Amino acid sequence: MDLALQILPQVLVDGIVLGFMYALIALGYTMVYGVLEFINFAHSEIFVLGAFVGVETLFMLQSAGQLATLNPAIVLLLVIVAGMTVSGLAAMALERVAYRPLQGSPRLVALISAIGASFFLQDGLRLFESLWRNTFYLTYPTLDILDRTVPLTADLVVPVKSILVVVTALIMLLGLYLFVNRTQMGTAIRAVAQDPDTASLMGVPVNRVISLTFFVGGAMGGLAGVLFGLNYGLVNPYSGFFPGLKAFTAAVLGGIGNIPGAMLGGMVLGLLEAMAGSYLSILTNGAFGAEYKDVFAFVVLILILILRPRGLLGEKVREERG
Amino acid sequence: MNPSLASIGLLVYITGSSILAYLHPQSTLAFLLFEASLLLIYYSSARPGVKFMLGALVLLVLMPILGFINAYYLEISVEVGIYVALALGLNIVVGFVGLLNLGFVAFYAIGAYLWAIFGSPQANEFIAGGFFPLASYWFFVFLILSIAIGAATGVLLGLPVLRLRGDYLAVVTLGFAEVVRALVNNLDKPINLTNGPKGISPIEKPPLFFQPVLEFFGIQVTTAKLYPLYFYFLVLFLVLGIILVTRRLEDSRIGRAWKAIREDELAAAAMGIPVVRMKLFGFAVGASFASAVGVLFAAKQVFINPESFTFMESIGVLAMVIVGGMGSVPGAVLGATGVTILNLQLLKGLSLWLNSLRQSGAIVSIPFLGSYALSQIPAQLEPAKYERMVFGLILIVMMIFRPQGILPPRQDQRK
Amino acid sequence: MALLELRELSKRFGGLQALARVNLTVEDGMIASLIGPNGAGKTTLFNTLTGIYPPDEGEIQFRDRSLVGLKPDRITHAGISRTFQNIRLFSHMTVLENVLVGMHLHMHTGLAEILLRTKHSQAREKDARHKAMELIELTGLAGREGEWAHQLSYGEQRRLEVARALAAQPKLLLLDEPTAGMNTTEAQSLMTLFRQLLGPYVQAILLIEHNMRVVMGISHRVHVLDYGEKIAEGHPDEVRQDPRVIEAYLGHGVWAGNAQS
Repeated sequence: MDLALQILPQVLVDGIVLGFMYALIALGYTMVYGVLEFINFAHSEIFVLGAFVGVETLFMLQSAGQLATLNPAIVLLLVIVAGMTVSGLAAMALERVAYRPLQGSPRLVALISAIGASFFLQDGLRLFESLWRNTFYLTYPTLDILDRTVPLTADLVVPVKSILVVVTALIMLLGLYLFVNRTQMGTAIRAVAQDPDTASLMGVPVNRVISLTFFVGGAMGGLAGVLFGLNYGLVNPYSGFFPGLKAFTAAVLGGIGNIPGAMLGGMVLGLLEAMAGSYLSILTNGAFGAEYKDVFAFVVLILILILRPRGLLGEKVREERG
Repeated sequence: MNPSLASIGLLVYITGSSILAYLHPQSTLAFLLFEASLLLIYYSSARPGVKFMLGALVLLVLMPILGFINAYYLEISVEVGIYVALALGLNIVVGFVGLLNLGFVAFYAIGAYLWAIFGSPQANEFIAGGFFPLASYWFFVFLILSIAIGAATGVLLGLPVLRLRGDYLAVVTLGFAEVVRALVNNLDKPINLTNGPKGISPIEKPPLFFQPVLEFFGIQVTTAKLYPLYFYFLVLFLVLGIILVTRRLEDSRIGRAWKAIREDELAAAAMGIPVVRMKLFGFAVGASFASAVGVLFAAKQVFINPESFTFMESIGVLAMVIVGGMGSVPGAVLGATGVTILNLQLLKGLSLWLNSLRQSGAIVSIPFLGSYALSQIPAQLEPAKYERMVFGLILIVMMIFRPQGILPPRQDQRK
Repeated sequence: MALLELRELSKRFGGLQALARVNLTVEDGMIASLIGPNGAGKTTLFNTLTGIYPPDEGEIQFRDRSLVGLKPDRITHAGISRTFQNIRLFSHMTVLENVLVGMHLHMHTGLAEILLRTKHSQAREKDARHKAMELIELTGLAGREGEWAHQLSYGEQRRLEVARALAAQPKLLLLDEPTAGMNTTEAQSLMTLFRQLLGPYVQAILLIEHNMRVVMGISHRVHVLDYGEKIAEGHPDEVRQDPRVIEAYLGHGVWAGNAQS
């Protein structure tokens, strides 16, 4: 029991960091689902793409000799902006090529296309990096400042990179909230999510709004990718699959289509997973340990969908016509 | 076309392609042409009795002979057969009932591990007494048993999941398959059920019960040569059995109920169909096919590990059903055959061809772009490794251009 | 003898009271019509009756049995079958298959029989096909049985829905706007069909209709709904003169026998 309490603060910190990353990725799933009632299965690859753009940007700076000289804040800003932009654009392109042609088709047809896109992008990234760098397992160059730690309390030290995740995520989430609720474009997105036909009749350019939704969701995923890469250091083209699936679980947990829901779901799932990772072994006397923490999210997903499919904060999808 | 003319034409084609395959045992193309004879037989206008005879000739006589000479043919046929069985099982769930199961491979894994655990020394790890591996004839018992266990697992998965709408159901089935794989990967402790990532081996093969008969006739064949043929026939009969069951179900009120549910669940219920029960039944049947084939797979491979049962496999089988045509038995067979051969032979062949280009040392000049030494083709460009890309592209293209597949169900199903 | 009795049937959706204490009886041997302006709750009544929604209050008695709380397939078992306002056929199945699906209930072929293709199951199949063909001919679709349902014309699709509903051998047939979108001739032939059904095929028919010619032409009794409440009931001639009914429809045009409201 003492051990459990001792590691609790660290577990909480890990959980919060993980939670914010899941929240950012979950936003991509939830926004697209809200607008199209469709699971963008390939979002996990948009996420990983962000991580790759991040590492390539760092490599470019490194080979230009700038990595050591530039202010780390500028470096981070460059990397984040690059990751978000490329991911956002990629998401838009994805929608144009693989989903828009299927707009009238049954949803399962689009889902299958999304799965195809996911696979295609995984190997696409692999091919690109194989040709460009001869390897597709990439390691982020270290930025010293990120590894420094900040003591929060007497026993608890938190690395700067964790703080980076939390701060950046909070800023972005706030920005997104303001965007969706206070700007005209944001209102257009909400309108299309609720009732695309009426929105269209009111003059809203539905297809452009859809593209914008993909861009914003993709950018959030790209940001999560950069943060993921900065935090964990290693990326490969297949490392998006599990985080993506877990983030989807988080989106459903919070209520699909519901943006605050995605944030909440991400946090809850992140904390649950961190706790499972650390405590599962203790709880089951070593029978089931941290190796099951990935599966944990799936169990959560199954339970949610059976017990409370609307999620914690309720779904926000198309209104049913009576 | 005149049926007699068709029959003669078929006979000529079969003879020609089998001779070709016989003379060129290394040629992928020759083998493909020979296999294509089955497709031609199916679609020809020959009389049903003739088709049956010709089909039997190809599958029961010619293929074994060719395989005896070149065991590689048998290997491919067995692998194709396994995927045909899996595709037929998934076809019931996705094609007939209309439920997108993304974790179909879990049932396959359960069947495989079922035999792997009890048909090898593995079970001694948790059941004292040294009873294992079970004698080889237990293979057939487990084959039957796996049908029941597969069906039960299908029902267990289905119960919580069937109320969900289509896309959620898809993701949950995916989650379920990952849970199964994680369990299989990690259940080497606290008790060693599955031996974890190390896998299980050696797994018992089914007994050569007909060997005494062969010896009686003075036929001396080594077991090494006999087993590939044996597995070929086992797979063939299993697949034929599955096709028979599927066709009978399809043409009955059960098959119609499934399709009605796929088309419009509400209207189906309004016509008196017990929707949940029928969905569960569809899940169970599909799962039982996969589990049965799993047992066979384990016995054939002699060694299995969790790597054979990934999400990629589930998607692979899904791609087969989609490419072939959802809801159509010939479609599933064609899709499975096509995709497996694409994977096994074409992609590898492409890799080999690229390799040979690299080694040829030739230089190619492209107008405006200059000359390019073929040895410079990057080593990473290895088509065999890019299965995912190929599958992904296939899925996207099929959904956009031909979502109903190559051989969608036809109106005149009376065959 | 009352075949169907709805007592104080109520259903609300959020803030909308779709059905408010509706009382309605359908007798054996009767063709009854349910009319009312758009949104009056007619299809909701059908949906509640057939188990798609559970009623909030009230009772549904059918042949001395309560149907409240039963799932749609059990209600069909009890002897009620229906057609839909927005045609819900099984598009990628043939006309014959659509009707055969309706016979699911009455075929009683078990799994073992099907797999073994016993003489018994084959006889049942043959029998079912025979009966299905009868219904296909009855509804004027003879010769089309091999076509996909979605290839039929609109009028033919509506008739196929009727054939399919009849295949379930209902005691009470519910028809939701069966003549919608049809011209006068088509509507007339459907009316003749409905009269033919009463007795040999079904014991009673309840139909929702906007086409007043049809309503006047075949109903023994007319029930009028408005805003979820029943506002009138009686012989067609009585109802057409009822001031409350006229007011509900806001005008005389409808009563002049126009096809659409």
